[in-house]
Amino acid sequence: MEKIHLPATSNTPEVDFDFQARRLMLRGESYPESAAAFYGDILESTREFLAGLVEQDVIVEVQLTYFNSSSTKMLFGLFEMLNQAAQAGNRVHLHWYYDSEDETILEFGLELREDFPDIEFLPRELEV
Amino acid sequence: MYTQHFALCDRAKNASLIFYYAGYFSQNIINAIGDAVRLRIEKSDPRGPVRRKLFSTFIEMAQNIVHYSAEALTPEQQQDREMRAGSVCISQHGEEYFIMCSNPVTLEQSEALRHQLETIRAMSLDEIKQEYRRQLRDDVPEQSKGAGLGFLTIAKDSRTPIDFIFEKVDDNTVVFSLSATI
Repeated sequence: MEKIHLPATSNTPEVDFDFQARRLMLRGESYPESAAAFYGDILESTREFLAGLVEQDVIVEVQLTYFNSSSTKMLFGLFEMLNQAAQAGNRVHLHWYYDSEDETILEFGLELREDFPDIEFLPRELEV
Repeated sequence: MYTQHFALCDRAKNASLIFYYAGYFSQNIINAIGDAVRLRIEKSDPRGPVRRKLFSTFIEMAQNIVHYSAEALTPEQQQDREMRAGSVCISQHGEEYFIMCSNPVTLEQSEALRHQLETIRAMSLDEIKQEYRRQLRDDVPEQSKGAGLGFLTIAKDSRTPIDFIFEKVDDNTVVFSLSATI
């Protein structure tokens, strides 16, 4: 599958989804005008990629410092997909970066861990 | 149309105005104002979580204007690159920040908004967080361009219950204002 690489903009994160290397990375801030439009194709490709995986390791790196409410919803959908892939026998390792000064991002990560227990949750403190 | 809003912003004589913008909002304008707001607070407030909450509340409020204001410069059916009218005001009162947005809505929209906001206003912080979790897992309502999570995101970060007023302009138009305290 073709990899997705989008550079960061003022309101969208850098996206580096290297499906062949099974490495998915999001970095930056996310508050596009339409989160559904921005994440639509990304989620569609990821769904396709995950459907073809059998007993593989997938590394997911999320270094988001801010995401708005509609991006939160889309991200939740992404983790739902990843959890299903883990339930199907793959190993999903989620590196979740957070700023120790700001509880929101870590809190959201902890909620994800609760909802999606099949993903290996690896909290990582951001170096300021 | 925004006189009462400005009067409210001006209400506390001791308040210092951090930012006030009235006019058309688009995503590009939000990016630019967002930068200015962020720089302005970085200089005046060392508290990281406060800065984060203020920025987040600003984005949710401004994006609501872009998506839902009844006064649009772009055609109604256009779903992206929208441009709609409203205002956002941020003022500082000692340790606290007061942030308020206003935009015209139709009478019909105002009824739905009132119901939604009265429900949130009556909730405790725990209930707000629970409702937020529930909506995050729910399917997106058809008419929503966001996730319906915007108001809950604002309410979660507000020190006091969110407040709102509706001021009648004509038979079919109402100015909707929403405020939060960070």
